[in-house]
Amino acid sequence: MDFLAYPLANVLLLLYNFLGHSTVLAIAVLTLLINLLTLPLTLSQQRSARKMQEFQPELEKLQKKYAKDKERLAQEQMKLYKAAGINPMGGCLPLLIQLPIWFGLIGAIRYCIPSTPLELFQFSHHIYKWLPGVLGLVPLQSTFLGMDLGQPPSAAQWWSYLLPVLVFVTTWLQQKLLTPPTGVDRQSQTAMMNQQMQIMMPLMFMFFTLNYATGLSIYFVLSSVIRIAQYYLIDTRGSRKVGDKAQMQLKPPKD
Amino acid sequence: MSWTGLTVVGDRLYVADLEQVRALNPSDSSPVWSYPSDPQQDRRGVFYVTPAVDEKRVIVASQVPPAGFLGQPKNVVWALDRDTGRELWRFDGATGQYVEGGALSSGTFVIGNSNGKVYALDAEGGTLRWVFETGHRVWATPLIVADTVYVGSMDRHFYALNLSDGKVRWDFKSEGAFASTPALRNETLYIGAFDDRLYALDARTGTERWRFAGENWFWGSPAVYSDTVYAADVNGNVYAVNAETGAQVWHAALEAPVRAGPALSEDGSRLFIGSQNGTLYALDTADGFVLWSSASEKQVQVLSTPAVSGTVVYETLLYGPYRIQALYVDNGRQVWAYPPVVEGQ
Repeated sequence: MDFLAYPLANVLLLLYNFLGHSTVLAIAVLTLLINLLTLPLTLSQQRSARKMQEFQPELEKLQKKYAKDKERLAQEQMKLYKAAGINPMGGCLPLLIQLPIWFGLIGAIRYCIPSTPLELFQFSHHIYKWLPGVLGLVPLQSTFLGMDLGQPPSAAQWWSYLLPVLVFVTTWLQQKLLTPPTGVDRQSQTAMMNQQMQIMMPLMFMFFTLNYATGLSIYFVLSSVIRIAQYYLIDTRGSRKVGDKAQMQLKPPKD
Repeated sequence: MSWTGLTVVGDRLYVADLEQVRALNPSDSSPVWSYPSDPQQDRRGVFYVTPAVDEKRVIVASQVPPAGFLGQPKNVVWALDRDTGRELWRFDGATGQYVEGGALSSGTFVIGNSNGKVYALDAEGGTLRWVFETGHRVWATPLIVADTVYVGSMDRHFYALNLSDGKVRWDFKSEGAFASTPALRNETLYIGAFDDRLYALDARTGTERWRFAGENWFWGSPAVYSDTVYAADVNGNVYAVNAETGAQVWHAALEAPVRAGPALSEDGSRLFIGSQNGTLYALDTADGFVLWSSASEKQVQVLSTPAVSGTVVYETLLYGPYRIQALYVDNGRQVWAYPPVVEGQ
């Protein structure tokens, strides 16, 4: 993902230069910029997820009705999606598109606050020297609250383990808000899957950040906080309106 | 990950060769000793840094990989008997990785660490004498001259410290990180930085005498012979600079990334420099003309400064079938390669 890591690393250098040589501030502003750039994607993801939840009772009815005819079930589900204006891939696609950005950012942090000299040597040939003030900036200041932002959490700075925990908490909160309970059948397969995902995703992120530079944890925590704020500020009203509209337009499928 | 390094002292070649430290016979690469003798049974970590050698001992550092998912890597300095490779002592008090080797002089071993500290150890027993804390990683091998330690840090400062207690005598601030060992000539230190400049500093006061601008970072250590300083930037530009004035004498573009500084032949007529494309170049010090080059297989990288002893130049190689190669200074023909290729393989 170097084709993304190098530009992101250079943006990080530029921000670092303009933000008083504060690495944490530079990562925070870069997080904000990335979230702004991916806002249409995250909004689409959030709306798609919400719509899917709103039509969950209808889907479950179809599942019961065509339990023995999988082909018909698939056809009826597609009809339902079409009538409601739901793209069944709408939830996954934005997430997939964001994956390269994550990997690019991991690379950018690794290049700007390197833990091994080979990474630094590689990056020395990819600094955009035409950017103002980037000469001599690398490696960026790596210490924040006694932690090394370029290194994974370590026992020597035990408090650095708090960051992966914070990643878990904020990701869990974000997951919980973005996948509200169906309220119909808590024992249904979908509901159970949602519940598992609410734990699995944050756990995955936590284990991930245990093994990567702590600077990345800061990105994950801030990203989750931004998305939670986004949920409250924009998405709640917007998606409800869309959901209500779709509900009114929906015609029940005929046999 | 870092790079392996070697040094030739007397009739031995000492190399930090990943899972082992080796003493080899420089004439034919026959092994004298290896530490640990069986790295599968007796894991001592990965040895990267160039060994420091004095009359009695060889001192190296390694990173021992973490045990288990939440385990922490251990960073250890090892002192070995120079003749037998027997372990004399070890020091594991640093939390960060050792990227470059240390300097050994007057019974003191000084080494920088990725945790931003410079450690001075008693070479006899390995006890800690003093610690000096800089503001960023220390990835440069210090230079010890008489009672002074010169060391650069990624915090953009170049420090002169008392060898006895680690107190700062002077420090020089540049606009870029320092990651190499300075070269010394006539009370002047020559050191490159990541602000694309090569600096000449008064060794007594740290006052800047001149600066020379390159095209990219100066990471490798410069070499000095007579009145000329030779240095290479990471873009592969090799510069010969007048040691007194900082004026450029000649410039040669190798058009291959260069990490390490050059090494000089004993008579000062040739300059040897390795590149990331796996080629070792021999340049004429009079005009920078490439006299010969020794290319390796495609993925091989030469990232350490070669060592010259008599008529032979020795280099370490990364990612190749050989990890060490000896070539004739005159024509670049191979003397030997280590590990030797076994017939039929």
